[in-house]
Amino acid sequence: MSGGWYWAVGGLRRAVALGAFCALAAFILGPLLTLILWAVAGSWLFPSLLPEFSLKWWVYVLGNSDVTKAIKMSFLSAPVATLLSAVLCIPAAYAFARLEFPGRRALLLSFLSANAFPKIGLYISIATLFYRLNLMDTFAGVVLIQLVNTLLFMIWIPTGTFRGINRNLEEAARDVGAGPLRTFFQITLPIALPGIIVALLFAFLAAFDEAQGTLIVGTPNHMTMPVLMYTLVLSYPQPVGAVFSVLLSLPSLVFLLLAQRYLRAGYLAAGYAL
Amino acid sequence: MEEGRRIRSVLLAAGIALAVILVSAGVPGSVGAQQAVTLNLYISGDTNVFDLFQKGFIPAFTKRYPRYKVNFVGLLHGNGSDGVYDKILAAKRAGRTTDVDLWEAEPGYVDQGIPEGLWVKLSPHLLPNIAKVPKDVLEAVDYFGVPYRGSSVVIGYNSKFVKTAPSTFDDLVAWIKANPGKFTYCDPNTGGSGQAFVTAAIYRFTGSQKFASKVYDPKEESAWEPGWKLLRDLQPAMYNNGFHPNGNVAVLQLLAQENIYMASVWSDQGLDFYNRGQLPKTMKFTQITPALIGDDARVMLPAGGAHLEGAMTFLNWLLTPEAQTMVIEMIAGYPGIEWKYMPAALREQFKDVAKGFSPYPSPKYLADIKRLWHEKVVVGQ
Amino acid sequence: MLPPLLVLVFLIVLPAITAIVETLSPVAGAGTGLTLVRYAQVLGARIVRSDIIFSVEVALISVASVFCLSYPLALYLRFAQGRLPSLFAVLFTIPLFVPVVIASFAMITFLVNHGLISTVLYRLGIERFPPLVYNATGIVLTQVWANIPFAVLILGAGLQAIDDALIDGARDVGAGPLRTFVSIILPLNVVPTMIALTLLFISIFGSFTIPYLVGGNAPQMLGVTMTNYLTQYFRRAEAVTMAVIAFIIAAAVGAIYVASVSRRERYSL
Repeated sequence: MSGGWYWAVGGLRRAVALGAFCALAAFILGPLLTLILWAVAGSWLFPSLLPEFSLKWWVYVLGNSDVTKAIKMSFLSAPVATLLSAVLCIPAAYAFARLEFPGRRALLLSFLSANAFPKIGLYISIATLFYRLNLMDTFAGVVLIQLVNTLLFMIWIPTGTFRGINRNLEEAARDVGAGPLRTFFQITLPIALPGIIVALLFAFLAAFDEAQGTLIVGTPNHMTMPVLMYTLVLSYPQPVGAVFSVLLSLPSLVFLLLAQRYLRAGYLAAGYAL
Repeated sequence: MEEGRRIRSVLLAAGIALAVILVSAGVPGSVGAQQAVTLNLYISGDTNVFDLFQKGFIPAFTKRYPRYKVNFVGLLHGNGSDGVYDKILAAKRAGRTTDVDLWEAEPGYVDQGIPEGLWVKLSPHLLPNIAKVPKDVLEAVDYFGVPYRGSSVVIGYNSKFVKTAPSTFDDLVAWIKANPGKFTYCDPNTGGSGQAFVTAAIYRFTGSQKFASKVYDPKEESAWEPGWKLLRDLQPAMYNNGFHPNGNVAVLQLLAQENIYMASVWSDQGLDFYNRGQLPKTMKFTQITPALIGDDARVMLPAGGAHLEGAMTFLNWLLTPEAQTMVIEMIAGYPGIEWKYMPAALREQFKDVAKGFSPYPSPKYLADIKRLWHEKVVVGQ
Repeated sequence: MLPPLLVLVFLIVLPAITAIVETLSPVAGAGTGLTLVRYAQVLGARIVRSDIIFSVEVALISVASVFCLSYPLALYLRFAQGRLPSLFAVLFTIPLFVPVVIASFAMITFLVNHGLISTVLYRLGIERFPPLVYNATGIVLTQVWANIPFAVLILGAGLQAIDDALIDGARDVGAGPLRTFVSIILPLNVVPTMIALTLLFISIFGSFTIPYLVGGNAPQMLGVTMTNYLTQYFRRAEAVTMAVIAFIIAAAVGAIYVASVSRRERYSL
C-alpha cells in the first residue's frame, strides 16, 4: 500500500501531523473566530479579551430594509445566473471536449481573459451596452453581469470532465440505437454530474461575490449583498461588518458541507488542464 | 417513455428559467403612471449621513410632497462613486435617461462631469432656494453642484493620554513629534479627514485662498514643497512608522483600540461614534486655528435623470430652513445655506460653532494633492 | 458553443479592445494615428514602476508561500490515512467558501495590533507586537489564507494521478521516502505544479480587494494604484493604460501556463 510508504518513517510523524494540524487550524479558523466574536459584540475595546456580549447589531443590520432586500436579491440572482450559465455553457463545454478544431485551445483560453483583464477599464463600455439593451436596473441585467464571472468555471471544468469520459461508452449507446441527445442525457451527463456539481459550486461562488458590476447595473432596485459589503465594512462600526460577514458566509457553509465529497476528486484540476 | 419525459422536463425547466428572465427583462423597474413618482437618490457618505436621509429628510419630504416616493441608495465614497459616475456617463453615451435622479459625491466628480455635459446648471430660475447658498461655493464648481450641508474636520484626542489639547497647527505638529507613533491621519485617497491634515500642512505655507478658487494652474503647485517636506518629516512619528489607514472609520477604530491617542476626524462622524459607544469615554474633540477644512460634499442633478422635475423639487426643499435644521440637529453639521436664513434660536445656539472651517482645495488641485501626497510623502523623494 | 462566446465577446473582448484603442490613441490635439505615448508616460513615473515591481514581488512571495504550505499538505492528504487527514481535508477547503472582502476584514481583526492575537499576547505579558497588517506581510498572509484551497486541490489532483504501483516499486528496490519523493513524485507532478503556480500568480497579481483592505500606503499593488488613478486622481487614461499593462504581464505568465499544458499533452501521447 502507498500508505505504508508514508508511515514507514515512524510514529513521530503522527505527532508532527497533529501539531501541523493545530497550527493550520489556528491560521485558517482564527480570523473567522474573531469575526464571529465581533458579530456578537456590543462593543469591544482594548484590552478586553472578550467583547461585551450583545446582539444589538444583528437587530440593527436585519432591521435595515436595504439589507434584507439585498439578501433576497443575492439569493435569487446568483442561483439563476449559475443555472443559466450551466444551460448555456455545458453544451459548449461538451463541444469543446469532443470536437477537435483549429483554435480550440485559444478559444478555451480566451475565457481566462474574463478573469485576467482588470475590469475597471471596461465598465463604461459595458454599461453603455446595457443601457442600449434596456438591461440597467433589471433582474436580467444583474444575472448577465454575474454570468460573466461564471463563464470560466462553467466552461473549463465541464470540458475537463467530458474529456475524461470514455468515448467508447457513448458509441456503444449509439450502437444500440440511442439518438445523440438521448445518449448525452442518459449516458454522458450522469457520469459527468460530479464534475458539473463542482463547476456549479465555483460558478455560484463567483456569481454570488460579484460586486462592482452589480453596483453599476443593479442600482437602485437590484442591489446584492456584496455591493453593500464594502460600505458596511469600511464605514460602519466594526460589529456591523462582522454581522454582515457572517450572513454572507452562511450559504457558502452549506455548500462546504454539500460539495466536500466531490471537491477533491480532481474535476477542478481536469478543467485547468485545458 | 420515461427517459423522454425526463429530457423534456429538463428542457422545460430550462425554458421556464429563460422565460422568467426574459419576462423580468421586459418589465422595467418603474411603476405605472397613476402611482407616485419614485425618486432615486444616490448618496455617498458615511453612516451618519445615511441616517440623516433615511430618518430625517426622506420622511419629512414625502410628508410634504406625497406625490413622491424616495428610494435611497447609500454608497461608499471611492468605489461606489466611481460606479455611479460610469453609470451616468454610459446612459448619456447610449442616449438613455438614467435612474440617478440626484447624486451626492465629492466635488471631483462634479468637475469631471462638466466637460461631458452630465449635470444640470443650477440657477435661481430652476431652484429658487439656490439664492440662499453662499455665492463663492457655487462659483467654485460653476453652479453645477451645490453643498447642502457642511461639516468640518477636527482633532480628536483621548484625554486619558493627552492632557493639553493643541490649539494651533504648529502645536499639533509639536505634539506629534513629542509622542511618536500616537497620531495618524487616513490616506487622503480614502477620506476627507486625511485630506484635512494634508491640506493643513500645505495651507500652513501658502494660505488657502489661491488653491480654493477655480483657477487651475499646475505650476502653482511648486509652492506646496515646504508642506510636503513637513509631512515627510512627520512620517517617522506617525502610527506604525508612517501608516495611514483606509478611510475615516479606520482612524476611529485605531483611536478606539487605543493604538493612537490623537487624529484628525470628521466632527459629525466622531461624535456619532462616540455617542454609540464605539470610542473610549475619554475621547474629546477640538478645532485648531486656522481651522481644518470642511464641507466636502456636492449634490448634482444628472441632466439625463428620468425624474428631473421631482429631483429639483427635492433639492429645492433640501435648501429650506426646515431641512437645514435637521442637518444641524441630526448630524451636528453646518447648514448649506447662509446662517441668516436659519431660525433665530438656532443662530443663537450655534454662534460659536459657526466660525466654520477652511475651504476645500478646488477639485483639480485636490486630485493633485492626493496623487502628489502618495509620491512625495509616503514614497518620499 | 456560441452563446457563452457571445457573452464573452460583448462583455469582455469588445470593451477590452475599446479600452486598448483608447490607450493607443493620441492625447487630444496631438495628431492622429496610434501612439505609445501614454505607455511611456505611465511607465516613466517612478512611482508606477515601483508599484509594478512591488506587485510582482508580492505575487511571487505569496505564490512561494502558498506553495510551501500547500505541497506538503497535498502530499500528506495523498498518502496519509485515518481520521486526522479527513479533518485536514475539510479544514483546508474552508477559505474557498469565504468571500475575499470578508477574508480581508477577518484577517485585520485577527492580526491587527490590539486585535485578538495581540490582546491575548498582551494578557500574557508580551507587549511588543510586530505590525502584521497594513503592509506587505498582511497582503501575503491574506493571499496565502485565501489561496490554499485552490493550490491544494490542483496539486492534490496531480499527486492522485501518480500510480501507487510506481511508488511501491521504488520502495521495493530500496528507495527511502526522500529518494522516492525526489526521483518519482516530484518529476511526475511538474505539470500540475506549473499550472498551480502560474494561475496563482495571475490571480494574486491582479487582485484588488486584499491589497486595498490589508495593504499599506506605499508601495501599492497595481490593482489599487489603477483604482486610485481612476477614482481619486481623475486620470482615466492612465488608469486604463495600467490595466492594459497589468493584462500584458498576466498574459506573459499565462504563456508559461499554456506551455505547461502543452507539455503535458506531448507526454500523454
